[in-house]
Amino acid sequence: MVTMKNVSFSFNGQAVLTNVNLNIPNGEFVSLVGETGIGKTTLLRLIYMDLFPEKGFVIVGKFNSVSIKKKEIPYLRRTIGVVFQDFKLLEDRNIFENVAFALQVTGVSRKEIQKRVLRVLADVGLSHKRSNIPHELSGGEQQRVVIARALVNEPMIILADEPTGNLDPATAMEILDLLKQINSRGTAILLATHNYDLVRKSGSRIIQIKDGTITKVTDLSNL
Amino acid sequence: MSLSYTIKEGFSGFARARLAAFTSVATITISLLLLGIFFVVTINTSRIVILIKEKVEMEAFLQEPVTRQQINELRQSILKIEGVESVIFISKEEAAAIFKKEFGEDIASVLDFNPLPPSYKIFLKDDYKNSKNANEVYANIKTLKGVDDVIYRKDLIEFLEKRTRIINLIGLIVGIIVGISAIFLVSNTIRLAIYSKRKIIQTMKLVGATRWFIRMPFLLEGIIQGVLGGIISCLILYSILGISSAWFTSELKEFLKIDFHIYGLLFILGIVLGFLGSIISVRKFIGESVIN
Repeated sequence: MVTMKNVSFSFNGQAVLTNVNLNIPNGEFVSLVGETGIGKTTLLRLIYMDLFPEKGFVIVGKFNSVSIKKKEIPYLRRTIGVVFQDFKLLEDRNIFENVAFALQVTGVSRKEIQKRVLRVLADVGLSHKRSNIPHELSGGEQQRVVIARALVNEPMIILADEPTGNLDPATAMEILDLLKQINSRGTAILLATHNYDLVRKSGSRIIQIKDGTITKVTDLSNL
Repeated sequence: MSLSYTIKEGFSGFARARLAAFTSVATITISLLLLGIFFVVTINTSRIVILIKEKVEMEAFLQEPVTRQQINELRQSILKIEGVESVIFISKEEAAAIFKKEFGEDIASVLDFNPLPPSYKIFLKDDYKNSKNANEVYANIKTLKGVDDVIYRKDLIEFLEKRTRIINLIGLIVGIIVGISAIFLVSNTIRLAIYSKRKIIQTMKLVGATRWFIRMPFLLEGIIQGVLGGIISCLILYSILGISSAWFTSELKEFLKIDFHIYGLLFILGIVLGFLGSIISVRKFIGESVIN
């Protein structure tokens, strides 16, 4: 469960978020829309605590932004899967190793790593490309690897920041389907995007950042 | 934390970023070589200065004629003077023998008589082997009855004192500069090497790696580079000294003498440099936010 309470944040004196309240219960799919540069990424960073609110607080599971210690942040991040627009895959290792990386970091046994990586690669449909290097894969496939890496830790929520930004519409839909599939198995999803077409087809709760605050979007035709 | 992961990543840094690893090792090697040459020169300079100072001695010539009893009395008086360690009596005959040794001629045969007076060679205590204290001893001996003249190499002592102060100062400054540049050079090189790994560090942070988990492979890599740099610089320094001593005169060779401890010191400094360099530079990147 993710909760933001009266969160305010500014960059260089310029308010980005003001008094934002947000609640994402376990297993919910939420789409966050808003123009580029409006603060979507900032909101996600506040959740995985790369940034901290100036006012208010963020709660993710048992972690609270007010009381969390620096050395607890890695443990918070293990409960969150992050998916970026730019893929952030490591070019010096293959697909299997890229996904396994997220588990090595947390000290899971080698046998367990192998089992879980192969399963999650099967989930995203890339078992056959496990030995390839990232740049040998298409954009959509690379994004699937990132999703697999985010998923392999069995997070309670996946934060997807413009995951389809670099992809063609058909591939973007595939990624959305994958996210919906993951969500149907109980993982909460927060999808930040300005691809309104995608949002319309997500069938999720839609919220919008505008003028630093979050509003619920009910009428999709306004987007 | 998995040890095998740390070791594997620490070593694979070499394979993944060959140029960066090579540059780091080369930088450490050059820095250590500079330090090594600096050590050799300064240590030998101060050793030679001490060697020269050790030889500071006075010679008191006795008024003639002099009786055996007077000679013995004078010995007691000189030994009573503060700062005098020991004395050696040199008779007229011995003085003539020394003269013959130095000039190759028998003074008695040139002049028909031996004009050289008997003397006492006076050795000072270590505390008195400086110009201020030696001067006091000199003045005290000179006032003794039966002493005609006292000589000692006052100029040399004063020269050495003045110069050692300057040489030590220069040595200190050069040492600090070389030391700081070594750390700066190494941490900059390693920072460049780690800069190329920003992406992996960011990804590690994103998937929840602890700071130590991120840091360990880089520290290990730094230490390995330090070990390599240490070994290579020792080999080069050893070869340089070996080759150049064949060309130098025996006086210059004195400046190239090297204690084997210095190689050990360089080796340890290499590890320290590699470790410090990587700890300084990895700190900067771990501190960065995930996105930039």
